[in-house]
Amino acid sequence: MSTIRVRSAASYWLAFPAAVWMLGVVVVPIVLLGWVSLWGGRTFSPASPLTFDNYTKFFANKTYLQLALTTVTHTAVLMAVTGVIGYCIAYFLTMKVKHPAWRLVLFLAFVVPFWTSTLIRGIAWVPFLGVNGVINQALMFTGATRTPIEAFLYSRFGISMAQVSLYTMMAAGPVVYMLNAIAPQLREAAMTLKAPPLVVFWRIVFPLTLPGVVIGQVLVFLNVMADFATVATVGGNKHAMLPNLVLLFYEGSQHRAASVVAVLLMVCMLIGVIAAMRIVDIRRLGAER
Amino acid sequence: MDSLAVAESIGLRQLDLELRNIRKRYGSFTAVDGVSLKVSKGQFVCLLGPSGCGKTTTLRCIAGLEEPDDGDILIGGKEATGDPPWKRDIAMMFQDFALFPHMTVAKQVGFGLEMLKRPRPEIAERVQQVLTAFEIAPLADRKPGSLSGGQRQRVALARAMITEPRLLLLDEPIGALDYSLRETVMLELKLLQQRTGISFIWVTHDQNEAFSLGDLVVVMNHAKIEQQGTPEDILQRPATAFVAGFIQGNNVFRGKVLECTAGNARIETAAGTFTVPCLGASLEIGATASFSVRAENISDTVSERHPNRLTAHCTAVEYFGAVRRHIFERADGEILKVDQFGAQAARIAPGQSVLLGWQVEDTVLHQGTRG
Repeated sequence: MSTIRVRSAASYWLAFPAAVWMLGVVVVPIVLLGWVSLWGGRTFSPASPLTFDNYTKFFANKTYLQLALTTVTHTAVLMAVTGVIGYCIAYFLTMKVKHPAWRLVLFLAFVVPFWTSTLIRGIAWVPFLGVNGVINQALMFTGATRTPIEAFLYSRFGISMAQVSLYTMMAAGPVVYMLNAIAPQLREAAMTLKAPPLVVFWRIVFPLTLPGVVIGQVLVFLNVMADFATVATVGGNKHAMLPNLVLLFYEGSQHRAASVVAVLLMVCMLIGVIAAMRIVDIRRLGAER
Repeated sequence: MDSLAVAESIGLRQLDLELRNIRKRYGSFTAVDGVSLKVSKGQFVCLLGPSGCGKTTTLRCIAGLEEPDDGDILIGGKEATGDPPWKRDIAMMFQDFALFPHMTVAKQVGFGLEMLKRPRPEIAERVQQVLTAFEIAPLADRKPGSLSGGQRQRVALARAMITEPRLLLLDEPIGALDYSLRETVMLELKLLQQRTGISFIWVTHDQNEAFSLGDLVVVMNHAKIEQQGTPEDILQRPATAFVAGFIQGNNVFRGKVLECTAGNARIETAAGTFTVPCLGASLEIGATASFSVRAENISDTVSERHPNRLTAHCTAVEYFGAVRRHIFERADGEILKVDQFGAQAARIAPGQSVLLGWQVEDTVLHQGTRG
């Protein structure tokens, strides 16, 4: 048991460093972003009058709205794909691989690639997907196509493929954790109550892993919504999502517009997380056995 | 079909369960070794043994959760060895109850009927009846996380019993309960079993449970059945040195056969030479043999009725109310237990050396020379 009491001086001192850090790198910048997004007038200075003009401008532009819609649908597709693949991988690793050595080998094979940075893994897809890339060469070698398929690289499809490989582990990890927490007797009890395997999965296993699924979905959602690097490298200049728009405005020194998009992106993420919390109380994860 | 085969098939149909030579290995470890068992209609069977003796694996084979490497399982006279659990006419209660944490008590108890595809109104009605019968109706909308141990046990039992299976398999079903609750729950379960006529196969390491509940007690050790019989059989006539030693209140002696005459054998042990009835067993002179005497059959008022005698040193006296148990140290250094009615006045004090004796017919010879 902890010897540090709640609300004692020691507990506040322990929280102090983290609190200062969070305040400096999270809270203050977010407040600044929100403030800058409301700046009106011609000059870029704290003396600017506050107005919603920047937001009105954004919502008046059809292209931007289309971009926002694309970002949301793209994210939804990715959540669905990583959710299904991630669940299958998690289920296979925890339930089907019985031998501990095999489980370790497969687990490492699954996890080790994720030790490299996301950016590098994103870029690494380029030589795979290109016109002279590995996939096209393999397809032509086997005779599946005569001419290389250009749709892989610099396309939504290519971006999706790269991102699925980047984020599937985020969807699978929490499910692995939840699956491991299910006592084998629960499935056995259901079987002795005349439930065949599919029913056992649907009525017992899946509901018990639901918090893990939701957490995985939240992680994928947040990461895909914020991912500009993969979109830029694998999508080339042809494709953009909301975060790329932030970058575009920023590089064009349109700080107010960049702030507007950043704030809107944050609001979208916040809505997504709140929606997820409504489905499953993530804070109670692991409390029920 | 000739009449003999008909008679046999009728005979089989009357058995709720039959195990024929079940064997189960895990790698080089044999968990169940040649276990055969017959359970008649509505019998209460207790599988008793120390942990790791194979009793739980046997139960899991009956449930279909493990597949035996060898042997046959017949449930209600029908071959079920290859059937998965969901096709067997059984229900099972697990040691920690295995309640579904995400389902309410009512949903949980109705699960079995739902699986049998019964219509919803019927399920609701039956669940209500069963919850009332098990006195857990007020808990219908609660989830297992907020229930006490005793309540969970009732829910688990209700969930298993609602489909009225032919066999109810119970794996240490009251092991997770407080001691104070166990006796009441045991009595309730026994009455429930008698009322419903469902055969119970109850796995336990607790001999009090086994002997007070079982119509048939099966003692297992090292993957094998050591002895099966009524509680009286096993308590009065332990068949092997293991059974005698495992069951409380027995004093086990090991020695060599000196002579064998007129139905009695003389067996020489480190604590002396004793006369033991053979009861038809043929003993070779010089062979090793073991026998046991129950603690309450040893007397400290020795007369000519007690030809088996030894002197021992009392080291401790334990008073349990119903009995007063004296712990003696034998000449060979082993422990000897002697029980006296608790209502009688104390006669032996620790530190005394006492001449003890018992009758020939209270001495039980064990089979084989094992142990």
